[in-house]
Formats: sequence, C-alpha cells, structure tokens
Amino acid sequence: MSGAVLQRMLVIDDEEPILFAAREYFEALGFSVDCATELEEAQALLSHVQYDIVIADLRLTGIYGTEGLALVRHVRERCPQTRILLLTAYGSAAVEEEARRLGVDGFLQKPKPLPDVAQIVFGLLGKTA
Amino acid sequence: MKDLLDTILEPGGLTVHFQPIMELREEGRRLYGLECLIRGPKGTNLESADVLFDYVRRKREESLVDRACVKAALERARELPGRPHLSINVHASTLGRDHEFLVFLGDVADVNAISLSDVTVEIVEHAPPWDGRSFLGALEGLRRIGVRIGLDDVGLGQSNYRMILDCRPDYFKIDRYFALGCAKDPYRQAVLQSIHELARRFGGRVVAEGVEHTEDLAAIQAIGIDLVQGYLFARAAPLETLLESGLLGPDRKSGAPRVPDAEAPA
Repeated sequence: MSGAVLQRMLVIDDEEPILFAAREYFEALGFSVDCATELEEAQALLSHVQYDIVIADLRLTGIYGTEGLALVRHVRERCPQTRILLLTAYGSAAVEEEARRLGVDGFLQKPKPLPDVAQIVFGLLGKTA
Repeated sequence: MKDLLDTILEPGGLTVHFQPIMELREEGRRLYGLECLIRGPKGTNLESADVLFDYVRRKREESLVDRACVKAALERARELPGRPHLSINVHASTLGRDHEFLVFLGDVADVNAISLSDVTVEIVEHAPPWDGRSFLGALEGLRRIGVRIGLDDVGLGQSNYRMILDCRPDYFKIDRYFALGCAKDPYRQAVLQSIHELARRFGGRVVAEGVEHTEDLAAIQAIGIDLVQGYLFARAAPLETLLESGLLGPDRKSGAPRVPDAEAPA
C-alpha cells in the first residue's frame, strides 16, 4: 500500500447501475468513491465530508428535473474547493448557461464513456491517469 | 427505486446505541443515565447520525423520523436492567408541529413499561423559529406527564438564550466544543462557568458532553459541573456492549426485560 491519501469522489445519480459502474471504475483508478441517489442525501454528505470532486446527473428524483443545479449551488457556497461536473441527457442551452453561471466546472452530455469522464476529472484535479 | 426514507422507517432500519451520562460525586462516579443515540440503516450513507439527521431535516421529515427513533429507542431500552434514566433526542420542530407527539410518546413508553418520569426529552433544533405557541404548549405537556426537558448543544446554533428562556430546561447539555481542551483554555472555562451559573439560576443542571481527557474533567469538576458524558467514560455502544462493560453495575448484566411495576413480583 502506497500510503497516499485517496482523493474523495461523490457520484450522484438516481440509477443504481450507473452508480455501480462509476464506483467500480473510479475506485480502480484510486479514488475513494461515495454514491448517492437523492439530492438531499448528497447535500447531507457534502455537509459532513470533504470531497475533491462531485459528479452529478442533472436530473435526480425530484419534481424539477434540474436538481443538479441545486447541487452546484450547494457546492459553490459550502465547499468552494470541491470541483463539480454535471452530466445530462436532457440539458438545454439555458440550463447549461445557468449551471456555468452557478460555477459548474464541466457540463457533459450523456452518454459519456467513463474514460472520457476520467480524463476531465484528472484535468480538474491536476493529476495524471 | 426505494426512497431512502422508506429504508429508514422500515423495521430494523434504525439502530440504537446508548452512551452513559455519569454523575460525579465525592465518593466517586456513578451512572446517572443513558442517552439513546440513533444510527441510520447499516451499509448506507445514513449510518452516520450526522448525515442521517441532516438528510431528514432537508426532507422536512423530522416528525416522522423522530417518532421512529423514539419507538426504536424505547423498545431497545426495555431490555435495560435497573431502570436507568433515559435521554432521547427530539427536534423542536417535531414538538411544534406534531400535535399528537405527546400521546405517541406516552403510548410507546407504556407499551415498553417505561415510566415517563425516567425519560428526558433532549430538544435539538437546527432551524429558525417554528410555531412558537405549539412548541411551548408541547413543553408544558411534556412536563405535565412527568418528562424532563433537556436542551441539546447549548451555546451553539439555535440553542441560544431565547431557547433557554422558552424551554427552561432541567438539563443544559453543553456541546463538546466547549469541553474539549477546557483545562488549558481559560476562555472555555469562563463559558462553562457562565452556563453552569445560568443553569443553577434556572434550577437546572449542566451535562458536559465530549469529555475525553482527565485534565478537562478536573477543570469541569472544579467549576462545579457534576454530570458528564464522553469517551473518557464510554463511547456510545449497542446494548450488548453496554451490558458486557459492567457499567450498568455488577448485577445488571442479565438484560432481562423490565416489567411494569404493577406486574412486578412481590
């Protein structure tokens, strides 16, 4: 064991298979990965755990379909050092503009292969694969 | 997909731990009571109490989950020998909004053969004011049925002077932030002294939480605070661990369920 401190990642999506795949992939790359399915669960975790990076779906279980924006707002207000990526299959230009205004670090269209997401994550965290 | 809230509320979703509250006397320490502490569903992010209750507050389901916590705690406490005094945490918002909570508490205590005079409701609050009139009415009701009132996290957040005035607590629970390192910090000692004096004038007692070092304990004791809780004495632990520890006394390891007084053998 190297003894290096693992970088912490939080992945939020309301589809369990996506969370499973992301956890497997990023843990193999050396991240410590937590997963959440609900906006409020993610916000609660972010209030008590310091994450290096958050990857969230724009649309979570909720009535608005843009719960990911609330997460971006939460991260920027409460954990300014944390990087955040939003993924979406439904994002309009207006939503993307709002996400960027709130301070998202990346707004990605789904489907996005995990290796491509990883490259963006590494770029944001200033590390190499 | 199943909502996390459903997972919390399903049977076995909540786990109860107990942490001893010790009383410091000239002749030594003795067990004064037990705080019932809840953990969320095992293997989930909500297993941590901090994350669990943060989630619950964000969902605005304090009342529903407080009821589940009280039920889980008193059902488990039923197995405690020796009728120790029990502290259970309840959100102020639950007392303010859930008009049937007192009846619920009475019923659960009754079913589990626990006297309400053995129960302290520790009020926790993380939100600005709620329905103040209902809250004050609930406090009055709790006192009327024999329950004692504790105010959690005194000195932090919403547990401020107004809450102290409104609650007139029997127990002022001071957050660990003030106890940790107080032996070497005269300013922390000043705050502890101040709250101790305030409690005395209200006819209440202070419980210092987060006591982890003997030197801090000595400083706390020198101030006159005689109820303490923290790792120095015991961590929060499941009932089985508590029974094994012997903290409940040498004759209290059986864990035999208590029976109502009226049914107790002569």
